[in-house]
Amino acid sequence: MHKGKGMKFVGDSRISADTKPNIPKDYSEYPGRTEAFWPNFLLKEWLVGAVFLVGFLCLTVAHPSPLEGMADPTNAGYIPLPDWYFLFLYELLKYDFASGPYVLFGIIVIPGLAFGGLLLAPFLDRGPGRRPHQRPIAVGMMLLGVASVVWLTYESSSHVDWEARAEANKPEPTVQVDIDKDDPGYAVFQDNCTSCHGDDLQGGASAPSLVGIDHSADEIKKIAQEGTGDMPPGIFKGSDEELQQLADFIVSVNEQAK
Amino acid sequence: MLQKMYDWIDERVDITPLWRDIADHEVPEHVNPAHHFSAFVYCFGGLTFFVTVIQILSGMFLTMYYVPDIENAWKSVYYLQTEVAHGQIVRGMHHWGASVVIVMLFLHTLRVFFQGAYKKPRELNWMVGVLLFFCMLGLGFTGYLLPWDNKAYFATQVGLDIAGQVPFIGDWIKTLLAGDVSIVGAQTLTRFFAIHVFFLPGALFALMAVHFLLIRKQGISGPL
Amino acid sequence: MSEKKQQVSRRQFLNYTLTGVGGFMAAGMLVPMLRMAVDPVLQPSAAGELVNVKIAVDDLTNEPQRVDWKIDQVDAWYESKVDKAAWVYKDDNGDVVALSPICKHLGCFVSWEGSEEFPDQFYCPCHGGRYTKDGVNVPHTPPNAPLDVYETKIKDGMLFLGEAKPQGEA
Repeated sequence: MHKGKGMKFVGDSRISADTKPNIPKDYSEYPGRTEAFWPNFLLKEWLVGAVFLVGFLCLTVAHPSPLEGMADPTNAGYIPLPDWYFLFLYELLKYDFASGPYVLFGIIVIPGLAFGGLLLAPFLDRGPGRRPHQRPIAVGMMLLGVASVVWLTYESSSHVDWEARAEANKPEPTVQVDIDKDDPGYAVFQDNCTSCHGDDLQGGASAPSLVGIDHSADEIKKIAQEGTGDMPPGIFKGSDEELQQLADFIVSVNEQAK
Repeated sequence: MLQKMYDWIDERVDITPLWRDIADHEVPEHVNPAHHFSAFVYCFGGLTFFVTVIQILSGMFLTMYYVPDIENAWKSVYYLQTEVAHGQIVRGMHHWGASVVIVMLFLHTLRVFFQGAYKKPRELNWMVGVLLFFCMLGLGFTGYLLPWDNKAYFATQVGLDIAGQVPFIGDWIKTLLAGDVSIVGAQTLTRFFAIHVFFLPGALFALMAVHFLLIRKQGISGPL
Repeated sequence: MSEKKQQVSRRQFLNYTLTGVGGFMAAGMLVPMLRMAVDPVLQPSAAGELVNVKIAVDDLTNEPQRVDWKIDQVDAWYESKVDKAAWVYKDDNGDVVALSPICKHLGCFVSWEGSEEFPDQFYCPCHGGRYTKDGVNVPHTPPNAPLDVYETKIKDGMLFLGEAKPQGEA
């Protein structure tokens, strides 16, 4: 390389003023037909990537990502389950030799050996041969490891009824209803009921939601006048005609929600 | 026009060697699926990188709507999922991408292992790769909590209890991760968010840079 | 390759295809994300409802009086009560006028006769901006537009107020 006096730079920088031709590295030691990375090989890689992306987007559109109800630490009946790629560790801790007094075996020794072995594989398998049959111990250990991970994952997941689980843990159904605020019944509702049952019949601290109830118009009339549960009688103040409008309005909203 | 702009920059910054280093090399026949169809196994590394890019981008966009706070985290995710146009798709990309990236990493690891490609002189790159795998698992574990739904909460509690059973330093690790000895709550969520969004991605970028640098330096392993 | 005057070399063709495929992948990834990001811009602005501010129209005088009320504000997943205020009076025709108290200069809170030097004017304490009673800014004071005016409605003798809009538009 050219050094010392006589070197020309761009301005006062360290960028050389003479452009040298860029000679790509020599890969001629490889047998067979080599190919330029840019653009020939990269195009093939990107075509694979594009096909992969289309498949991936189809997956995301077909299966919306799950979201269960908001975390509730008091939910004692909940059976925890990790993401699928931790299931094998989770399953391992069920076995006698990896739990109770031997828990250290389950959480440190076995995973430590497995992942430590993986990390240090080049130093454990030092022979020159690269073909699988030239290093039977390393390949055997790896096959054993993969098989046990697959088997543990399968064992763990086969005991889970995934569909029932997803069904039971759905977020609270928030029924979307369009409330016709021009309905004469809504005006009556506003005058009598919104202070407890809310502007959109959604309920509040002192009263339940009125969406998703199963009462006939006559029952609603009766409840409005006589109360029920914590609701005292005599809350409705209006004419019989307004009472009918109110009941019809609440029934119509609930029919939408079905 | 473009050529002139390029020349202007190249004269000052000398960028030609930089991109030639990345782009200008020959790819040997044995990794080229056009010549040997079985060479598609060499795609898994590239696909892992591709999914990682999807994860980074979708994650960046998701933080526009997400708040790491136990009162609002679930509500913000629910809002994103139900009210925002394409919110469900972007969250879906991040959710499924997390699974797909593990699958691709696993396949890539198996390919490298069974071909014995980690042997001298590539021991270091194998170790960097395994650390990348751990990083990804850590991202999966911390990301699982963030929507703050029931499965997230209880799975994290189990994970933290396992960490707490480590002798001597167990409680210490658990407290460091959860922010409290016994409560899985507000501090846990902010800590997991910080780990998921800043610390682990930082480590991931550094390790990926080393991984790729070593591949370019050493070249791809030869045919069996 | 034998033709001498070929327009596109093989390498160029591959480069174009590469750009196309790369563009497709980038678009496939980014379109949903960008659509999600710009979603707030594309939301139709919700027409604000008129709210009963709990003051009878008969109680209003020619003198602007301050009215405070609260509205329910839904900000994505966060719902809250927000304080609103207005200066309300009846003009010479007996029509109700409700002016926003937010100064058009830098958003301070203007007060009716807020300065003893300027009776019968709105006064902004921040930079001495002044407005006449109908909300028009006094020339040579900092504000450069009249105060916003609220939509008003009178129902059953009660005053209902909606959104504040710039004068001339409302």
